[in-house]
Amino acid sequence: MVDFSLSDFDRAVLDGVAAEARVGEKYARYYDEHEDEVLPKSFPEAAQFPPIQQRLRGRPRDDTPMLLLQVLMRIEREAHCGVPLRQAPTALGNAALGAAGTDAQKARWGNLMLAMSITEPGAGSDTKAIQTTARLDGEEWVLNGDKIFVTNGVRCDGAIVWATVDKSAGRGGIKSFLVLKGTPGFELVRKEKKLGIRSSDTAAYAFRDCRIPRDHLIGGDEGVPRGEGEGSASYKGVLKTFNMTRPFVAAGGVGKAIGAFRVARDELAKEGIAVDFDDSRHARSATAQTLLELEADIEAATLTVMHAAWLASDGMPNNLEASVAKAKGGEVCRTGPQRAMDALGAMGLSHDYQVEQYLRDGRIADIYEGTGQIQRLVIAREILGYSSAELT
Amino acid sequence: MNFSSNDTDDMLSETVRRFATEELRPKLREFEARRSVARDVQERFESLGLAAIDLPEALGGVGLGLSSRVLVNRILAEADAGAALALDRFGPAAYVIETFGGSDLLERYRDLLASRPETRLALLIDVDAGTVLEGPVRGEAAWIASGNADVLVCLRRDGAWVMESGFELEQARGAALHATGASRIRYGGAPAHVWRDSTLAAQAWAKVRLYHAALIWGVLVDAAGFSRRYALERVAFGKPIAHHQALAFLIVDMEIAVERVGLLIADAARLIDAGMDGTGAAASAFVDAVEASRFVGPNAVQILGGHGFMRDYPVEKAMRDSRALGLLAGGTDAAQDDAGAALAPANPMEFAA
Ligand SMILES: Cc1cc2nc3c(=O)[nH]c(=O)nc-3n(C[C@H](O)[C@H](O)[C@H](O)COP(=O)(O)OP(=O)(O)OC[C@H]3O[C@@H](n4cnc5c(N)ncnc54)[C@H](O)[C@@H]3O)c2cc1C
Repeated sequence: MVDFSLSDFDRAVLDGVAAEARVGEKYARYYDEHEDEVLPKSFPEAAQFPPIQQRLRGRPRDDTPMLLLQVLMRIEREAHCGVPLRQAPTALGNAALGAAGTDAQKARWGNLMLAMSITEPGAGSDTKAIQTTARLDGEEWVLNGDKIFVTNGVRCDGAIVWATVDKSAGRGGIKSFLVLKGTPGFELVRKEKKLGIRSSDTAAYAFRDCRIPRDHLIGGDEGVPRGEGEGSASYKGVLKTFNMTRPFVAAGGVGKAIGAFRVARDELAKEGIAVDFDDSRHARSATAQTLLELEADIEAATLTVMHAAWLASDGMPNNLEASVAKAKGGEVCRTGPQRAMDALGAMGLSHDYQVEQYLRDGRIADIYEGTGQIQRLVIAREILGYSSAELT
Repeated sequence: MNFSSNDTDDMLSETVRRFATEELRPKLREFEARRSVARDVQERFESLGLAAIDLPEALGGVGLGLSSRVLVNRILAEADAGAALALDRFGPAAYVIETFGGSDLLERYRDLLASRPETRLALLIDVDAGTVLEGPVRGEAAWIASGNADVLVCLRRDGAWVMESGFELEQARGAALHATGASRIRYGGAPAHVWRDSTLAAQAWAKVRLYHAALIWGVLVDAAGFSRRYALERVAFGKPIAHHQALAFLIVDMEIAVERVGLLIADAARLIDAGMDGTGAAASAFVDAVEASRFVGPNAVQILGGHGFMRDYPVEKAMRDSRALGLLAGGTDAAQDDAGAALAPANPMEFAA
């Protein structure tokens, strides 16, 4: 039977995460207004909160799947602007290493913070169109190309970089490589200035005859598969990691909507406008109706996220559900803060309140790790039974 | 019936467009950063007569109607809505002064503005003023789209008041319209003028709404146009992204939204210029402009993908500015109420008959 309840243990974990996130929230505006600065490794208050692994110790085995608890944690964090008191030691590149790296590579680089660098000025959604090349020269790969929009690209220790070893082979020629900071020919070109999520650094890279050891090819397989629809093992492996990460991006979007909802509800309450959800439809004010619809939408989006995470944690395919969650999560963080701002009026524009930041920050959820349009393509292919060659 | 523009409007458009593209657009980010427009740009704007476009000729204005004002606002906002607000030192407060105080008071404040280049009037809309309008007033607002003000004009449902002292502004930061600055405002004391008249208030509000709706319109024209042009050039999966139907249809819906907004605004302005009751039409136009902004603003960002999220492109600004404008002029809830009220008969029992 479908059961959405959480154990007391998990509830307490989530409450703890929320308490920590509330402390982090007070730094959110500072880093929003000071985009040039990079978040410190940890804030002083972090000491008040034991690391999450410690708090999870003794968790009953039959509890909610871990991945599900993790997306719920992400929602709690993002509902308070998502500025962490201590930086996660890993990044998206670590997930890719975990999915496609050899055991030796995982052991060697697993404890570094690794960004994921796929996107280029001329290739975003269409990842197979990347132009960065990797050429084998003796025992070294030589990388040439430009990369943009690398999350954590400033503060990471290195990045998993996509490059093609053979342009004529399309997808099959695309491989991923580990490039460490400080490697000659690897330049951090700039840190981007963004609409939102300014506490998250986003970098542009340039590779100019950048030489890396031969064994930095992730997965180690130098073969180039041919044929339509083919992709190298590491290409596919990395894409597969997005099925795991998409529910997290969606959770981020849901969190932003919740944050905006909360600000609107609390500020209206201060002005004596309490929203009574039990009122009949005829007696309800427009504001109450707005908040009610928003709450329902948040609930629905949350469930899609939980479903996708639950499937993944059980090892079941979740390609469809992860895209549904991502599409829905990307949407609710647009409409949610918009509605919350309407309820608040012009005060909703002020930096004294977080609601406008949720709108700006939330906008990203429908863009990165596959835009809303790309998610819909994935969903369409799944439910209509088309291949990616048939439906683009 | 005539959908074509006249020669005056064409000439006006050309002047404004040249000014906006030469003086405003290239300095978009500069004005955002300094939170004001440069003095020489302000002077050029005023020397072109654009500040006084709908002030009566007797007061040194150009004497064109609201229809011309919305045209000017649209074109300015296509370049930078924040700058459009900053440049207009009289601003929409002029409608409140004119409606309630007549040309004498309008002249007085025009002279005040002429006397010093930095003076400006700020407009506050107090939609839910709980108290009866009489005697001293007191209150605060967390965000108004003005970095400074010498005169505070407040429009309420039941009337309006004007304060020349007794209020203070504190610099505020906000989401959008940076070029015009922003403040938190506190006021308390006896206004210099108080008027109680809800019919006049509705008339003034209609103009205030159209003024802002036209700015939204301009931002959306630009956002839709910019992203459409981008979609023709950006290639993904072997063809321009505009060739993917999901985007082509999105682009179409954005264009339809912008078109619709423009027609509703033009129609409401025409009614008011003809001396007819345009309160309902103006409220509808405002509501529709805001509706369109919720859709067009974020989708202009969406069409540019990750690039849309970067401040290297103007679409993220369009998303912020259009959202902000929709929260001014009293917001959409009040406009929806007024649009509805204009449709309903005065006596609700008439429905029953
Ligand atoms: C803040 C931020 C952080 C990021 N972090 C990373 C990172 O860490 N690593 C990384 O590699 N990348 C990262 N990205 C890049 C991100 O994944 C891309 O921006 C995204 O995939 C979209 O690519 P694009 O920007 O090139 O847009 P484009 O691919 O050019 O898309 C433009 C528009 O066309 C639409 N479109 C494209 N193809 C189709 C189609 N077939 N049908 C219908 N519509 C279509 C898109 O939906 C979009 O609306 C980040 C981006 C941002 C903004």
